[in-house]
Amino acid sequence: MVANASRVSVAARWLGLAALLFGLIPALLAAIGGGYPFQVAITALIFVTLAVSLNLVTGTAGLLSLGHAGFFGVGAYAAALASTKLGWPFPLTLPLAAVAAAVVGVLVALPTMRLISIYFAVATLGIGEMIHVALLNWVSFTRGPMGIRAIPPIEVLGLDLSGVVGGYYAAAAVAAAGIFAVHRLTHSYYGNALRSLREDDQCAAAMGLNPVRLKIEAFGVSCAIAGAAGAVYAHTASFISPDSFRFEESILILAMIVVGGLGSLPGAVVGAVLLIVLPEALRGIGDFRMIAVGVFMFLSILFQPKGLLGEASAIALFRRQLGAAWRGDIQAGWK
Amino acid sequence: MPDFFDAYFAQQIINGLSLGLVYALVAIGFTLIFGILNVVNFAHGEIYTVGAFAGLLLIVGAAPPLLAVVLFAMAVGAAAGVGLERLAFRPIRRFSDEASLKSRAMREATLLSSLAVSIVTRELMVHFFSGEMQVIPQAALLQEVIAVGPLTLTNGNLFIFGASVVMLGGLQFMLYRTRVGLSIRAVSNNVLGARHVGIDTNRTIVATFAIGSALGAAAGILVGLYNGNIFPYMGFAPGVKAFVAMVMGGLSSIPGAVISALLLGVSESVATDFISAGWKDMIAYGLLVVTLIFFPQGLFGHGRERV
Repeated sequence: MVANASRVSVAARWLGLAALLFGLIPALLAAIGGGYPFQVAITALIFVTLAVSLNLVTGTAGLLSLGHAGFFGVGAYAAALASTKLGWPFPLTLPLAAVAAAVVGVLVALPTMRLISIYFAVATLGIGEMIHVALLNWVSFTRGPMGIRAIPPIEVLGLDLSGVVGGYYAAAAVAAAGIFAVHRLTHSYYGNALRSLREDDQCAAAMGLNPVRLKIEAFGVSCAIAGAAGAVYAHTASFISPDSFRFEESILILAMIVVGGLGSLPGAVVGAVLLIVLPEALRGIGDFRMIAVGVFMFLSILFQPKGLLGEASAIALFRRQLGAAWRGDIQAGWK
Repeated sequence: MPDFFDAYFAQQIINGLSLGLVYALVAIGFTLIFGILNVVNFAHGEIYTVGAFAGLLLIVGAAPPLLAVVLFAMAVGAAAGVGLERLAFRPIRRFSDEASLKSRAMREATLLSSLAVSIVTRELMVHFFSGEMQVIPQAALLQEVIAVGPLTLTNGNLFIFGASVVMLGGLQFMLYRTRVGLSIRAVSNNVLGARHVGIDTNRTIVATFAIGSALGAAAGILVGLYNGNIFPYMGFAPGVKAFVAMVMGGLSSIPGAVISALLLGVSESVATDFISAGWKDMIAYGLLVVTLIFFPQGLFGHGRERV
C-alpha cells in the first residue's frame, strides 16, 4: 500500500515537471513576446539534451570526452541529408540521426575504449576534429563549408510544427525523452555499475562486470542522444554548416556539465540553461558578455569545484522527490 | 618517379621543419606543465597569442631589434604564465584531502578553470584589439627571401631554426645542469617525495609555468612575424597541434614531444603535395588516433602501468 501511494506521488511529480516544460515555460516565453525568446529556448533545449548525454559518459561512467560536438554533427548531417535529398520527414530522420551517431560512436569506441583517463580524452578530441575536417572537406557529400540550406521544418503526422513554438515543443519532447532515458539509466543498478567504472574499473572488473562492454554501451547511448539533438538542430535551424560542430562546442558542452556538477542530471540541465541563456541575457552589455560568461564559469568552478548541484545532493534529491534510485520497496539486484 | 625528390619537395621539408619547431616550442610548455601537475593547461594557446601581441606592441611602439622583441615577448609570456598559475591552478590545489584528490569532478574542474581563464583572456584581447588581423610594420616581417640554390628560404625560416635550437638547448641545460631544473624534474617525478627532501613545490610549479609560457610566447611572436598575421584567435590551431605532439611523444617526454612535433610539421607540409590543403588537418588527428591505438604510451613514453 505504502509502495502504491509513493508510486502515485512520484507519477504526480513527473507530471508536474512535464507541465512545467510543456505548459508554464512556453506560456512565460509567449508572455515575454516574440519569436526570439523561443529561439533561445530551442537552443537551450538542444544543449540540455547534449549536456545530459555527455553527463552519462563523462559524469557517470567517468570517460572524459572532448569530441561530443562531432557526434552532434553526425546526427545533424544525417537528418539534413536524409530530409533534403531523400525527402524523409522528421519522425524518420530523428531515429536515423540517433542511429547514425550511435554507429559512428560505437565504431570509434571499439578500438579506443581500452584507453583510460587522459588518453581516452585525447582520442575523442582527435576523432571529434576528424569528423569536423570530414564534414568540411567532403564537399560532394556534405557540401563542405557552404553547409546545407533549406532543411524542411518539423512536421509530425500531419501536425505542422514549423514555427518557433512548434520547434520549441519538438525540442522539448526530445530533451524530455533524453533526460528520462539518462535518468532511468543512471538511477538504477546499471548506473551504479557505470559509477563503479568511474571510481575504479579494475576493481569493477574483479567484481564480475565487463568494463569495456559497459563503456561501449554507455558511449553508444550517449552518442545516440547527441545525434537526436543534432536532428532537432538541423530541422529547427534549417541551415547547418561544419562550423557548428567544432572543438569549441565540445568544450562548451563539457563546461555545462562541470559548472552544473559532474554526474548530476539536474546539474547538467541547470549548467546548459545557464551557459546558453546567460550570454543572451547579457546582450545589453555588448562586447563584455563573453568576458562575463568566462568570469562566471571561472568563479563557479573556483567556489564550487564539484558543481552548482553536485552528484551527491542530486541523487539525494531524486531519491526523495522522484522515488528513483534504490527505493526500499523494490527487490532488485544486478540484471 | 624521377621528380619525387625535387627542389619543391625539399622546400616542403624545410617549411615543415620550421612549422614543426614552432609546434615543438609550444608542445614543450604543455609537456613541462603536464609533467609537473598532471593537468592539461588549456590556456597555453592564449599565452602564445599574448606573446605575439606583446611583441607587436613593442615593435609598433619602439621598433627595437628582433632579439629584443623576442626577449620581451618571452618576459611577458613568463609573467602571464605565473599569473595564470596563480589564478587558475593554485586556488584549486587548496583541496588536498584524499577524497578531493581522487574525485574526478575536481580534476575536471582544474582543466576547465584554465579554459575559463583562456576565454576571458581571448575575449579581452578581442575587445581591445578587435578580432581582425593586426597590421604589422613591413620592416618587422620575417619574410625576406634568401635563395639557396633552387630553394627559397626566408629569413623567418632561419630565425625560427636558430631561435628554436638555442631555446631547446637552453632548456636542456636548465633541466639537467641547474638547481631549478633538478627540482622541476624531482617534482614531476614524485610530488610527495620532492616535498620530503625539502623542495618548495609551489615555487617549482611557478618556475615551470614561467619557463613553459616563455617558450610558448616566443613561438607566438616568431610565427606572427613569419606568417604576417597576428589576431586573438591565432593560438587555437598551434595549441591543438602541440597537444597532439605532446601525446604522441608520450605526455611527459620532452625529446619525444620535440620529435613528434617535427614529424607532425613535416608530414603536414609534405602532405599538401598529395592531398588538398583542407584535408591536411586530418593528418595530425589521424596520426594522433593511430598512435593512441597502437602505441598508447606514445612513441617515446616511459612505461606506465596502464594507459
